[in-house]
Amino acid sequence: MKVLDQSVRHVWRIKGALAWGIFLPVSVTTDVVLLSSGSNSAIPGMWTVILLILCLLWVLILPGLRYRFWRYELREKDLYAVRGIWNRIQTVVPLRRIQHLDVKQDLIEDQFGIARLVVHTAGTRSTDLVIPGLPYDEAVHLRDTVREFLEQYMD
Amino acid sequence: MEESSAKFRRLHPLTFVHYIFLAIVGFAFTLFSSPDESGGLYITILVFAILYTLILGPYAIAQYIRFRYHVTCEELIIHYGVFKRVQRNIPSERIQNVRIERNMLSRILGTSSVKIETAGSSGAEGVLSYVGVREAERIRNLLRNAIVSEDQARFSMPLKRVLLSSIYQFSLGIFGILIGTFYSLESLKIIDSTVIANWLMEQNFLIATGTERWPLLIAILLLIISVLGWGLGFIENLVRFYNFQIQLGPKKIHRKFGLLTLREGTLSYKRVQSFLIRSNPLMRLHHWHRLDMQTLGLESGERGFQPAMPFAKWSEITTLARRIHRFILPDTYTHVSRLTLRRHIFRYCLLILIFAIVLSLLWDPFTLWGLCLIPVTWGTAKLQYTCHHWSFHDGHLLIRRRFISQQFWIVPVERFQAFEIKASPFQRYLGLCTLIVDTAGAGILRYPRIIDMKRDDAEQLLLRLQKSSDSIRISVN
Repeated sequence: MKVLDQSVRHVWRIKGALAWGIFLPVSVTTDVVLLSSGSNSAIPGMWTVILLILCLLWVLILPGLRYRFWRYELREKDLYAVRGIWNRIQTVVPLRRIQHLDVKQDLIEDQFGIARLVVHTAGTRSTDLVIPGLPYDEAVHLRDTVREFLEQYMD
Repeated sequence: MEESSAKFRRLHPLTFVHYIFLAIVGFAFTLFSSPDESGGLYITILVFAILYTLILGPYAIAQYIRFRYHVTCEELIIHYGVFKRVQRNIPSERIQNVRIERNMLSRILGTSSVKIETAGSSGAEGVLSYVGVREAERIRNLLRNAIVSEDQARFSMPLKRVLLSSIYQFSLGIFGILIGTFYSLESLKIIDSTVIANWLMEQNFLIATGTERWPLLIAILLLIISVLGWGLGFIENLVRFYNFQIQLGPKKIHRKFGLLTLREGTLSYKRVQSFLIRSNPLMRLHHWHRLDMQTLGLESGERGFQPAMPFAKWSEITTLARRIHRFILPDTYTHVSRLTLRRHIFRYCLLILIFAIVLSLLWDPFTLWGLCLIPVTWGTAKLQYTCHHWSFHDGHLLIRRRFISQQFWIVPVERFQAFEIKASPFQRYLGLCTLIVDTAGAGILRYPRIIDMKRDDAEQLLLRLQKSSDSIRISVN
């Protein structure tokens, strides 16, 4: 079983910080307004504290855990992935059922030289099996290997 | 050139009546939701008048003039587009389903809407709205492209059976209707919620008399809701499955049903992914079941499940389903792990505890009596356990689960797309897991799965499923 590239943790951290950080100005403004209006109903700075806790959770704790439980393997006839912190999910996608594969890379992933492999099947639940945090070359290699398999299978 | 364009036909002229009807509905809707100030009404009427005379009316006429179609046994050609001319050719071998729909207005006017679905698209690829009734049948017969043999398997529901089946139905849609009616009446100022709330307070129903009268009130409310829910279920079922007919041709399935909106459709056997036989305890008591086909096309109204036999005896269902896809039912089934009892009891107890405690803190300590339900959880868990079993037999995975809205899945091995083994922390603690089989176009909420198998059993079954799926050659279409 292979593990993901370690730098995927940084990517998740940045994305987590961005996702929650967007709300920070809103929460700070809300708290300042609440405080200045002299409302007694809320604890001072409550929203900012809640947001900071969520931020810390998504930045410090979750990426490490997610990384720890992610495993994948390209086997002879199928692609196998294990993941999940709370619910542990094992997915088996038979290679011949794969409709097409995408290698995706966004700006942050590009900085760390990693990419995602998106596996599409005709199924509903597994249409979005995404293997994140693969070194770019590895993702391309995986895609090409599966493509070769499919070409041989079609013949 | 002249000759070829002469073959092309236009839509039925009464299509305009449909447009006008839609416009009236839109107008009425906007009128009711427009602001109440005195000027609001006139502004709405003015905006509509300008919109229709200058933009939408001329556009509809241009659209009608530009839209032409031609049907042969080989293909359907549609020319359309106001600003950009488009020609669409749909070869008949790609057509998976030809649906004829007739809503209330269509039936009054004698028009039909023909929808053509192909394998590549999730919705209808070609829509002819509207053509005459005979013309719709002519188009369907040309495109059906399959000679219907004499010895077809048929199933139809006479009115007596539709009425009987409606008795067993219950619809929760009543909540939506009640809430919707309440809000619209309130927005139209026919009723006032504050007045009702004050009246309720004055009647001392809720607060002053405390624990004495509100259980009675809740019981009466539940009774009213169940009677209404049953009534609505009855009507819904009757309207939907009135005059239900299904015919099995050599390659395709033809269906026709509906009271207000007549649905007529053809779909090929290849599109059927799995069978789902459903029932509730009352239906099972009288040996009735319902057969659905899970198909590849995602039709929102059917949630990926097409009714094949809305109400039939078990033997009728298996006979018809076997003609679509051959299968043998096993004699014995394997139960899931007995540890599932623990997980169910734990889950139910936790829910009761949370509800009772939260309600007692927020509302009334009387709700702590809800804890008396805890012993009942064992019975409920036991029922779920006895109803949940599976078998992998003759290239088919068969799963039965749930007591109240029971599901029985028949999934052919060649339809397996991917597999999943899932385990929650509590399942991991008990050494259990859930095995999920993914098929094309399966529902997001309703899909075949075996819950609470022993870990080793699940892995063994997964290997068997994979092996058997590998040995089957998939036809690439």
